[in-house]
Amino acid sequence: MRNYEIMFIVNPTIPEEEIDKINAQIEGIVTTGGGKIEKIEKMGKRRLSYEIDRHREGYYVLFVIVANGDIIKECERRLRVMDPIIKYITVRTDEEARRLEKIRNYRQKRAARRDRGATAAPAQSIEEAMQ
Amino acid sequence: MRSVKEKRPAGQKQYYRRKKVCKFCVERIDVINYKDVKLLSQFVPERAKIMPRRISGVCSRHQRQLNDAIKKARNIALLPFATE
Ligand SMILES: [Zn+2]
Repeated sequence: MRNYEIMFIVNPTIPEEEIDKINAQIEGIVTTGGGKIEKIEKMGKRRLSYEIDRHREGYYVLFVIVANGDIIKECERRLRVMDPIIKYITVRTDEEARRLEKIRNYRQKRAARRDRGATAAPAQSIEEAMQ
Repeated sequence: MRSVKEKRPAGQKQYYRRKKVCKFCVERIDVINYKDVKLLSQFVPERAKIMPRRISGVCSRHQRQLNDAIKKARNIALLPFATE
């Protein structure tokens, strides 16, 4: 299982309940496949940066999930055949998360070393550094 | 204001000193996310072409991440494609 994000654009003229139904379907695919939903974010309407199938606006939805390749394939297949879906993208996020963890560890170690030396300015906290 | 250009001997190469530092290194932005349109659009000016490193000062490691994020953002219409 890996971390993924699925972002899709729904036709903004359809009622909100329809969007919820689509979300429920995707959620169903993920959970039946043994994956996990971390977050479903209805980002809402926004202007598209370019026209897609005559649409200038779209309703954006973001799924943050833990899944495997089969689940992702099924989600994509379903999104492709759903009429109100204007576009979707899937992004793997675990590699980036691992990289980020490495950087944080490194920074923490360095800060600890600096603290032992206990001179100069106080070490910047990791949280601060992440801003 | 005096022009530096005029005082320079002919044929000598002219250098404009610009502060060239990688924004991501300086601000310790470790992850360049495709959803961060505000950040990304700083590197996609006017005609929506990705700003080259020699202009932006972004280091090669972060430029790679930036390109990747911009590509994803364009794909999902969060950013425009370059128009010719
Ligand atoms: Zn950098």
